[in-house]
Amino acid sequence: MFHLTFVSHELRRRLGRTVLTAVGLALGIGLVIGIIGVSQGLDDAQDDVLAPLQSVGTDILVTRVVGQTPASAGSTTPSTPAPGGAPERGGGFFAGRAGGIGQADTDALLAENRNVVTDLAALGEPGQPFTRDFFLSATLLSFPEEAVDEIRGVDGVTSVVGGLYQLAEHQTGTVPEIVASIQTGGETFTQTVRPEPMSDAERAAFQQCLAAQGVTIGPPGAGGGGPPGGGGRGPNPAFDQCLPPRFLEFRAQFTTPLRTIQQVVDPPSTDITSASYTAAGVDPAQPDVGLVTAGQLSAGRWLGVGGAAGTEVLLNVAYANTKAVAVGDTIPINGTDYTVVGLVRPTLTGSTADVYFPLATLQALAGKAGRVTQVLVTVDRAGAVDRVADAIRTVLPGAEVVTTEALADRVTGSLADAQSLASRLGGALAAIVLTGAFAIAVLLTLSSVAKRVREIGTLRAIGWSRARVVRQIQGETLGIGLLGGVLGVGVGALVSMAVGQLSPTLSATSTGLPGIASSSLAGVFGQATAAATTTEIQLSAPLRPATLLVGIGLALLGGLLAGLVGGWRAARLAPAVALGDLG
Amino acid sequence: MTGHLYELRGVRRVYRAGAGDVAALDGVDLIVGGGEFVAVEGPSGSGKSTLLQLLGALDRPTSGSLLFDGRQLRDLGERELTGVRSRDIGFVFQGFNLIPTLTAAENVEVAMVPLGTHRRARRGRATDLLGQVGLAGRAGHLPSRLSGGEQQRVAIARALANQPRVILADEPTGNLDSATAGEVVEVLRALSTEQSVTVIVVTHAADVAGRAGRRISLRDGRVTEDRMVPVVPTG
Repeated sequence: MFHLTFVSHELRRRLGRTVLTAVGLALGIGLVIGIIGVSQGLDDAQDDVLAPLQSVGTDILVTRVVGQTPASAGSTTPSTPAPGGAPERGGGFFAGRAGGIGQADTDALLAENRNVVTDLAALGEPGQPFTRDFFLSATLLSFPEEAVDEIRGVDGVTSVVGGLYQLAEHQTGTVPEIVASIQTGGETFTQTVRPEPMSDAERAAFQQCLAAQGVTIGPPGAGGGGPPGGGGRGPNPAFDQCLPPRFLEFRAQFTTPLRTIQQVVDPPSTDITSASYTAAGVDPAQPDVGLVTAGQLSAGRWLGVGGAAGTEVLLNVAYANTKAVAVGDTIPINGTDYTVVGLVRPTLTGSTADVYFPLATLQALAGKAGRVTQVLVTVDRAGAVDRVADAIRTVLPGAEVVTTEALADRVTGSLADAQSLASRLGGALAAIVLTGAFAIAVLLTLSSVAKRVREIGTLRAIGWSRARVVRQIQGETLGIGLLGGVLGVGVGALVSMAVGQLSPTLSATSTGLPGIASSSLAGVFGQATAAATTTEIQLSAPLRPATLLVGIGLALLGGLLAGLVGGWRAARLAPAVALGDLG
Repeated sequence: MTGHLYELRGVRRVYRAGAGDVAALDGVDLIVGGGEFVAVEGPSGSGKSTLLQLLGALDRPTSGSLLFDGRQLRDLGERELTGVRSRDIGFVFQGFNLIPTLTAAENVEVAMVPLGTHRRARRGRATDLLGQVGLAGRAGHLPSRLSGGEQQRVAIARALANQPRVILADEPTGNLDSATAGEVVEVLRALSTEQSVTVIVVTHAADVAGRAGRRISLRDGRVTEDRMVPVVPTG
């Protein structure tokens, strides 16, 4: 009890030393709390980036990406994407060629995206307004749903669900009138015909006819014998009458050479506008796993099952805000009104979608009945994830199989840089700061002991044992440590507030995530796909109770350390120092 | 006299120095009885400080015999020496050596802490002792609020806290004016005569030594003079 009184008096009545030591500790502790806070803020930011898969409890994501899926030995069946056609089997779903795009990929790309070509004539009569949504797989190719069943058969898999992810192009405008004028005619055909000479019978009949007409034909060289009508005179009608019929009529068939007539048609003036959005198909019967889950609802309800529920959709909150759409509103797509029944929190990976349809609905809209673009897999235990992923690669050669753990390695950008920096330097910086703070506390305590030599010697002379003196010094430094910890929490709070005020922006780019933008062809599809996987996050330094306790604990540790060193120094003092030098 | 409190035979205390060993005390023979008021005199370097350390169980002799109440201090361990100091010896220092952050009463209490005296008993004893030295109304004052004479009287009260067999005073009047010094010496002398507490005072002051019943002179680590003197009546 007396010790507490003594410690209390020492701390209060040597206030300068107490405050100086406590502030030294507090600065160090505050900075450490700040560093821990920033590190936790970075962790939180990275968790946000990776949250989509983690929040749906997915361990493995299986996709088929053009130009990215390496060929597997034994994968000899070419990809034969034919939406609506006969499903491919086995490894044929995912056949591809490493490092480039093979013919199979090319065919698949064309097949998956062929409806990007707008047949204006199919939209209606010229002048008629139209609205049309086109659904494309872009480079994230679809594959038959049978893959889901094949994965379900892998040992260790607890749940599997397929999802369809599409890039949608929404077009509105007026059907244009297209007229092309092609002018033909005016050609001249020239033909030379040489008839067979007259036979003797014909000649005799001809001459006889002429004679009957009073026309005499002289011998050759006397103006006769030439062609009828010769001799410098005009045609004699008698000749027409007397010539054999085959000389009077000429008939022949001929075919003109094939020709291609081309004319540049000026594009019609239209008011068609396009807007991109992303669409995902989820299984309404599995609200807990999929590209979006019921847990991510922020308003409304989950998709219904069966009946009219096929026209229900969920909207990404950000997309709904942009389009000023609320729960209960309808959005028209290809002649059908879809009812918005819920809003979901945005996800940040390549699988982020603006509109979530029932899977069957989106498959019908996109003309991809029975096909999916992603399979989400959960595994019975964390340690089995890599093994199951390998097994899936074996079952489905060429498939892009990504584990959630691997996602962290695929996030780049300033967030990843900061995270890397924090992991590499954060700990060292915290250790340096903490060492500095402890050193300050120890040095100030040693200084205090040095100034109190006579006092400590007196205590020893009047019967205080070494241990009692050490306990007294430690009690004082622990008190200072507690005060430093409290002040350090305050400093840490200031650091946290400062980070919150500055709110540095970090970007996270999930370049390797299996999505539209993950392919080498992502650029072809423009901004809409690129934006889907780059996220900007405001850095914060959260103050958590555990962090504050760690801060106070470190401060007490610093006080204890200072007390041990100071007490050790004090214990070494001989009690005789109380007397000074008397001679 | 109530028997031998101290009995020193051939006591030597040698310190190791760079140039060789230095004998601070070199064969001291001394017997001090209970209730004596002894003044130890001598020039600087004569061995007064070393003798006080040995008598106060703050140090051990290099050789020779030093009996305190029949116990050979040389053979005692650190813990036992600490016990001897807390129970049987009271110290009064030239610079008072009060704890500056504790009040007068707490400075008296601090000496009773090692013996585990209960808080209430400590406080009562401290109050009584301060009353005995004329500081009943100053118990709650910090040393910085007390005069030099008052501080030394607090130090004397602290020295008496555990009812010691001996009080060792190191130049107790060195920092006091003559009037106050006289008062302090009278308190010490009264302890000797009225409470049979042995008082050993190291001093340069002739008037202090003159109040002692026995004067011991040291030079070069040896006792050069040890004589009983008539006590000068207080004036």
